[in-house]
Amino acid sequence: MNAAYLFRMVCLSLASFFLVNGVAGAATTLFSSAAIRIAEAMRPRSAARFLFILRMLPSVLGMTVVLGLCVPSYLWLEPQIASERVGFACLLLAALAVGACSQSLVRTACAIGTSARLRKEWLHTENEALPTEEESQAVVDEEAMVVEKREPLLALSGIFSPRMVISRGVLAELSRKQVDLAVRHEIAHRESHDNLKRLFLVLSPEFFPFVDGFAALEKTWARFSEWAADDEAVQGDSQRALSLATALLRVARMGARPRLSVLQTSLLPEDHDLSARVDRLLCVEPPPVERVSPSNSPAIARGLCFVAGVLALASIPATLSSVHRLLELFLR
Amino acid sequence: MIRLLKEGVFGGNGNLAAATLGPLELELMQILWSHGESNVREVVFRLNRSLAYTTVMTTLDRLYKKGFLDRRMPDRAFVYSPRFSREEWERQRAESVVAGWLAGSRPSRELLFSSFLDAVGEHDVTLLDELEKKIRRKRREMRRRERS
Repeated sequence: MNAAYLFRMVCLSLASFFLVNGVAGAATTLFSSAAIRIAEAMRPRSAARFLFILRMLPSVLGMTVVLGLCVPSYLWLEPQIASERVGFACLLLAALAVGACSQSLVRTACAIGTSARLRKEWLHTENEALPTEEESQAVVDEEAMVVEKREPLLALSGIFSPRMVISRGVLAELSRKQVDLAVRHEIAHRESHDNLKRLFLVLSPEFFPFVDGFAALEKTWARFSEWAADDEAVQGDSQRALSLATALLRVARMGARPRLSVLQTSLLPEDHDLSARVDRLLCVEPPPVERVSPSNSPAIARGLCFVAGVLALASIPATLSSVHRLLELFLR
Repeated sequence: MIRLLKEGVFGGNGNLAAATLGPLELELMQILWSHGESNVREVVFRLNRSLAYTTVMTTLDRLYKKGFLDRRMPDRAFVYSPRFSREEWERQRAESVVAGWLAGSRPSRELLFSSFLDAVGEHDVTLLDELEKKIRRKRREMRRRERS
């Protein structure tokens, strides 16, 4: 396998990814307003899941087409001795794909860097003495990191094993019940793997370099995931809802919130819709809570079915030779 | 890019916002923004006060020379139309004010930022007070319901 052969494969893969991701991404962006309207009719957790899938669809589709069809057909049907050159269009599309992917990689690196820096900073100011059970059972149970700061900080930090971070200021400001509910809100984020989803969102490239086409979808996803965490924390109890609303308000009154990384979830995000959240909490009778974990399984199953379908398609020789003919056209 | 667009919109007259409008000039601009292309007679007719034809004509001519208006002569009289929308003018004016403050001395910059922060802070406090009231109302309601 020589370098030219590999170079052509990389160019074709990148260009194919750019095309599939671009077309699917542009379509997603075009229909994002309609999708948001559909999501608004759903329960918050389902809405968040729907918008997340929609946001990830272009990249997943691009990756699946490249890894499931383009690469196998190229490796199987392209003779290694072929001395074809890569056409200008293919090179241009590959360059655009590199641009879009680099942008998302830089964004991810920055987010991880900020996350690590803040975590290190918090570790420095961590107070080993946890609050007693009388003060907050939930904080004790969660082994949260209590930092000696006055600022309004209650966040979930970390992607694969997220840890709760809470400032002494928040503990002093909120009652025991309010702290417990705020912690439950963060637990709901952890159980639905919101930080991991944030990583996927940041990693997933835009459909065109330096175009922020998915901003509306991402913002609405964040809003629904906050609402879903609120619902899961209050469990349909209007007393709890009232306490959580009071907790949100007290934290908001504590002043400027610390700037967090996009990979960290906070009780009160910077671009929070506090008013809407409080209104929702006050209007409850909240809807019955959806359980997070069991409903993840069908989603995973559907994803696996999709990948299996593509692999099955790829195993039919006719499919691969059709794809190869397309790639040949593309290469010129 | 933004500069290029502005130059496209304002026909290269990027300094437009720096040009000020007097009360009569602004009044005439409002008429043209509301009613679109008009000749001097139509503008005089739409004015809320009686002004001499020649005064309006001179003012419109001045606005044309300042770059606010376009004009053409389909018959024997000029017809004037605004070169940009009211929103564009207001945006330009706001940008010009902010740019002026930022270009100023350090204290004036700090004054601008602190005024902005105060305004935002006041808005925030009002919002939080309103939400607090809602929560109190809800709490009272729930207590009443519990008692009954």
